[in-house]
Amino acid sequence: MNKIKALVASLEELRLHVGRKDLMIGDYGLNAQLYFSLANACLRNHAVLLYGGMGANKTTLVNLLGAAFMGQPFGDIENLMISGHPEQTEEKMVGFLDPRQWSRPGGDAMEVLWTPWARSQWKVINEINRFPSGKQNIFLEILQKRKIGYAGKVLEPGDTSYFATMNPDFSATYPLDEALLDRISACVPATQPDFLGSLALSERERAIADLADGLPRFSASEFASLPGCVLEMELGPQVELAIISLLRDFTLCERAPGYDKTQLSGTAPSKGLCSGCHYFNNPEAVCWQADEGLSDRVRQDLRDYTRAMAFLTERRVDIEVLRAVAPYVIWHRVTPNRSALERPPYYGARRLDYVRDLVERSINRTLNERGEMNMIFSRAVDGEISARDAIKELSGYDDPIARLDYLPALERIR
Amino acid sequence: MKLRHFMDDAYQGKTRNKRLDTRKGDVVFSLDDLAERVGERPIKADVEKLVPEDDRLLASLISSNPGKKHQMIWGILTSIAAERSHQPLRLQSGNFVGLELSSGIIVLEHGGDHVGERMSGGRIFIKGEAGDYLGQEMVGAGIVVGSCGDYAFRNMRSGWGVVLGGSGKHTGVGNSGGRIAVRGDCGERSGWLMRGGRLHIRGNAGDYLGLLMSGGEITVIGRAGKRSGWRMKGGSIKAGSYGPEAGEGSRGGSILGLDS
Repeated sequence: MNKIKALVASLEELRLHVGRKDLMIGDYGLNAQLYFSLANACLRNHAVLLYGGMGANKTTLVNLLGAAFMGQPFGDIENLMISGHPEQTEEKMVGFLDPRQWSRPGGDAMEVLWTPWARSQWKVINEINRFPSGKQNIFLEILQKRKIGYAGKVLEPGDTSYFATMNPDFSATYPLDEALLDRISACVPATQPDFLGSLALSERERAIADLADGLPRFSASEFASLPGCVLEMELGPQVELAIISLLRDFTLCERAPGYDKTQLSGTAPSKGLCSGCHYFNNPEAVCWQADEGLSDRVRQDLRDYTRAMAFLTERRVDIEVLRAVAPYVIWHRVTPNRSALERPPYYGARRLDYVRDLVERSINRTLNERGEMNMIFSRAVDGEISARDAIKELSGYDDPIARLDYLPALERIR
Repeated sequence: MKLRHFMDDAYQGKTRNKRLDTRKGDVVFSLDDLAERVGERPIKADVEKLVPEDDRLLASLISSNPGKKHQMIWGILTSIAAERSHQPLRLQSGNFVGLELSSGIIVLEHGGDHVGERMSGGRIFIKGEAGDYLGQEMVGAGIVVGSCGDYAFRNMRSGWGVVLGGSGKHTGVGNSGGRIAVRGDCGERSGWLMRGGRLHIRGNAGDYLGLLMSGGEITVIGRAGKRSGWRMKGGSIKAGSYGPEAGEGSRGGSILGLDS
């Protein structure tokens, strides 16, 4: 932990990364771009997407952190990275058949020469949206299986940290597949430095590669120990409950098959599904305010990043950390209600803020208004009260979780 | 692990009961939202129930472009905004502005069609030209306009209208009350089927003035076109001069010169 603090301090002192404090955990401000990258470095087999305009220090920061955590020179880490462009091929990214095998006597097994990127445990995919959709599927497969396949051969690189960067939709970019977006654990906007930040950056006189040598380096064992440190952070019941309720708030839909919005096809809240529904237009109900439901993958990401962020900030894994982290884990996975998003204060542009407000509402509702109904449900599940009595009580609650989750569950118990 | 212990730990004994208030702030974000709830040809009372209390949200609804689909809803919103406001509501233009207005003042640069329709109170001032159906079915209040298109003040029951320039055809058609003053000329068939009220034209009137009228008074300072008072059954027409066949087929009423 001390080394991580030293790394953060060095980045600032050397003027290698000067970001605004846009991530508030309680009253404490942090730079989201840096801290989510650090959190990802403390986790394994998660991917963070840095999204922002050109020159916002996305790629450089990730490579600097890679140099520090992998204990390698900055230039070597930069060389490992793959960048998106239409001519990029699987052979250049992942590996190719070793041509020498055909001139060697004997040997039936196919041999593949894996690229350094494929073998690396710090994988950076630069400008991911410049890969055509077909190439993006390669990453989907890698993130899904945690293995890399080519010509029937499989490489298991082991626990890996994945980073991706992305510019907004310029020409020669391709939309990211929803399945791939769901595999991305967190998406963090990378903003341009503010006035003070720009002033600080103007003090940097040496090249980044030179300054990068001044960053503290982690040994292999130190880097390998980080996930264990994160795992030691205990997630309390309040945070677990808030996470599950948050997912249900986004996913439950009275009109979807199985009340599950992820089952919808061809229709969505934005396509008139909610017309006439009594939850529609109720600001306390989250369901109509986003088109997509959230998968269990989101629950795992919320748990992991909340823990990691608590570890980095040396605090308990409490609800304030979840409040801060959850919007970044969710916003890239959902499409907000258009007319609500276009109103002030979002103006059609501030999607992260929109999702942040939804998260706030859900968490506050869980902590406050849902207490009684949650107690009734838990007592019924434990058999302390009869399912019939609980159903009768819960029928008076108009909360979507009570109506669409608890009541059907109790009917099954009965 | 017992679920109840989990919940107990999560809430630490503090639970608060509150139902999801499904009626709380049926927030309307756009004209589409409003139309979904009240339909595209709503009653003003239905719209009033859903209009946001927040004046800024109402202002942003009014500033949005209603298109043809939501123009009636938008018109009702302009009336509600004018009624709530202590200051005159100033708008560029639009169809159905001031629809069912009951109080307040609206000032328009120029009007679209159906401005001031069914208004019962308040004032509408239009600096430039208005379209067709201005003040249709008015039951009170007043409109001042630079000039207007056809069917102005059609089926008027009460109130008044002043046209500073000319008006189009069918001005005051079917009126049963109210007063209309036109400083310029009016088009043909003005005062058609009039049953009451007054129509005063300072300029010239087109053909078929007061066609089939059964009551009310029409005064034309200039010249009335041909067939004025054709088949009229009641009421009176006074004009500076008349075209041919004035009063032909009339079964009542009077057609007089201005000196009479």
